Amino acid sequence: MLHPEKMTKILMVGSKERLNDVIDVLYSSENVHPIDFSPEEEGFTLGTPLPSASEASQKLLKLRAAEKDLDIKGEKVKGKVETSRIYSEIDQTLVTISTELAGAVESKNALQGKAHELESQRKLLEPFKALPIDLELYRGYQRLAVITGSVRSDPEAQLNQALKNYEFFKSSDGRFVALFVAKEEAAEAQRILVQSGFTEIQVPPGSGSPEQAIKNIDEELATLSKKLDEANERLVKLREQHETFILASTEELSIQVDKAEFPLRIGSTAHAFVIDAWVPTDGVEDLMKRVQEKVGDKVAVEVLEAMPRREHIHPEEASAGSSEAHVQEIAPSKVQQKKPVGFFSYLTKLISTPKYGEIDPSYVLAITFPLFFGLMVGDIGYGIPFIILGAIGLRKCKTPEWRTIATMLFFGGIWATLFGFFLFGEAFGMHFSPQWLPTTVSHTTYPYGNELSWSSMLQTNLPQIGIISKLGNVKLFLYITIWIGIIHLLLGFGIGLYNETIRHGIRHAFFHKVGWIFILLGGACLLPWILNLLILNVAVSYTDPLFLIGIGLLLAGIVIAYIGEGGPAILELPGLMSNVVSYTRLAAIGMSKAGMALAFNLIAIEMIAPAGGIAIFAGMLVFMAGHLMIFILAVISAGIHGIRLHYVELFQKFFSGGGLAFNPLKIVRKYTSER
Amino acid sequence: MAIETGLIAIGAGIAVGLTGLGSAWAEKDIGSAAVGAMAEDEKNFGKGLILTVIPETIVIFGLVMAILLWTKMV
Repeated sequence: MLHPEKMTKILMVGSKERLNDVIDVLYSSENVHPIDFSPEEEGFTLGTPLPSASEASQKLLKLRAAEKDLDIKGEKVKGKVETSRIYSEIDQTLVTISTELAGAVESKNALQGKAHELESQRKLLEPFKALPIDLELYRGYQRLAVITGSVRSDPEAQLNQALKNYEFFKSSDGRFVALFVAKEEAAEAQRILVQSGFTEIQVPPGSGSPEQAIKNIDEELATLSKKLDEANERLVKLREQHETFILASTEELSIQVDKAEFPLRIGSTAHAFVIDAWVPTDGVEDLMKRVQEKVGDKVAVEVLEAMPRREHIHPEEASAGSSEAHVQEIAPSKVQQKKPVGFFSYLTKLISTPKYGEIDPSYVLAITFPLFFGLMVGDIGYGIPFIILGAIGLRKCKTPEWRTIATMLFFGGIWATLFGFFLFGEAFGMHFSPQWLPTTVSHTTYPYGNELSWSSMLQTNLPQIGIISKLGNVKLFLYITIWIGIIHLLLGFGIGLYNETIRHGIRHAFFHKVGWIFILLGGACLLPWILNLLILNVAVSYTDPLFLIGIGLLLAGIVIAYIGEGGPAILELPGLMSNVVSYTRLAAIGMSKAGMALAFNLIAIEMIAPAGGIAIFAGMLVFMAGHLMIFILAVISAGIHGIRLHYVELFQKFFSGGGLAFNPLKIVRKYTSER
Repeated sequence: MAIETGLIAIGAGIAVGLTGLGSAWAEKDIGSAAVGAMAEDEKNFGKGLILTVIPETIVIFGLVMAILLWTKMV
């Protein structure tokens, strides 16, 4: 159950006449992962597509072109089209669509082209609007040069000094100038203009006043845009009319093309075909029955071997002492867990697909990830909204990313609520604990002091709920999380031991995992001793049995790991320690949440609200905004750190990944139905 | 407040602040490389995330130190 499903390799051989039927069976069983044929095998060549492929491909090409022209996205389509209708109508519809569409698209393109042209003309005319000179007056002179363009500063004074025969015009803002000058003085005029930051603008063709020309263009543009709207409307109408049918027939024809091209993945001779495939061992019988029903005895199905989990080792390699496993063939991993573990498999896939011979880590993830998330949040006030949000998300969200986040919120929220109530006794950063009054009860009775609590908020003395306080029992909380880390890592090494035993045998597993388990256990024995020595400043004894056992386990573990993995194992020792310390983030993030909540509560309730009046409202606003911020930060930090502890610390102890995902032949229909 | 308490507070601040800078410095390069790898192939997300958060352990150590110092203060 924890492993990917057991796989069996099968071989199907038959006459090519039956190939079509066999392909139908393979697709309908949805349980066959074909092995791509390698043409090196003697006497066989790759198959050729079935004849139906080319006709369907041609139609598909036309449909896809129409889809693009009509900008079909398929977001609003409801209802399904029957495949029988598609086949009876497709030829007729394709003709209609292509004629109507061609006209509409062509006229739209022509209109758009014309509009672009007019706009560029208008742009050219625009600067000339500023001068009261008709366009034809700018050209056709024998002894005059005409210079037009924009300037940065006014050149009039310099021109006046240097030129004799000229006439000068400038626009009212002084940015655009036109100079009519005798040809022999043109070079000098150019020089002066360049000094004023001159850029030449060519006189556009045409005649009459530029202002009038622009007006004409604007009118033309207005009619064009009306026509363009009409053309677009026609396209929209066409889209509405044909969208469903186009999408449905694209889907159906794609399925046909896929099926017809399947022979490209298998081997064939002149008259026969041969298919190698993986089938889940449980599904072999069903597949054989289906084949028997469809084609009788005409196609031979042979079970080659049930794939063992143990990875093959070539005898000569094994005798040469090589411990590297040589994998002969990779069986695909079919990991399809039931809810709720299935919700977490996306997180595993983000790293890698599990190998055929290893335990799917989604199971561990499904248990400890929400647990860690809950421990880091640890507050009823956030836990319950998380549960609600998660439940809504699981109901509404469709994409795997959002479903995963909703799953995390839902299950994490449940744990956050449980921890928040039973362990921390906290909601919105405030404890459920009796109010401590200096005059009546001593500080030792109520360790949380007279801090802001729900008792002071509700003006009643609530009973003490919760065992530890995130901010009050810091050392204890850190200590607990270190033990959580040790247990979690032991779990990881345990699974690793099991995986290695399954995949490579007990000897390999012992030297690769047991050493590390000893080291971790030794470290765990030494932990209280080290704490006493370094942090609690308690006298320690070197004959303490726990200390001696710890040192013994540590040394034995190092020796085993050294034999198994060589020198690098010793270099990895500090890594293991940092892995354990890394789990203190569970406490650190919980504390940072509690600290922020405490700060917002103090600001809102003790600093702002007591002023009364509008300040009560302001206090509520600060309270809500602050807790909303913590709430959002909790998703990000608790989520990321929770998953990180699994990815980085836990998975490295047992998960190798890199498996081949089970990818069976199957048909997914969204817009069509078969009957 | 005694001078010692203030010094402890400063020490705690330095512990968490400098380790934070250290982590950030290390993560910035890995992070940008990881985003680049992800742009090539989205399947690299998981590996990218793992590699990006590895240096974060530094700041967690700093935070733990700061917390231990802080417990000596109050």
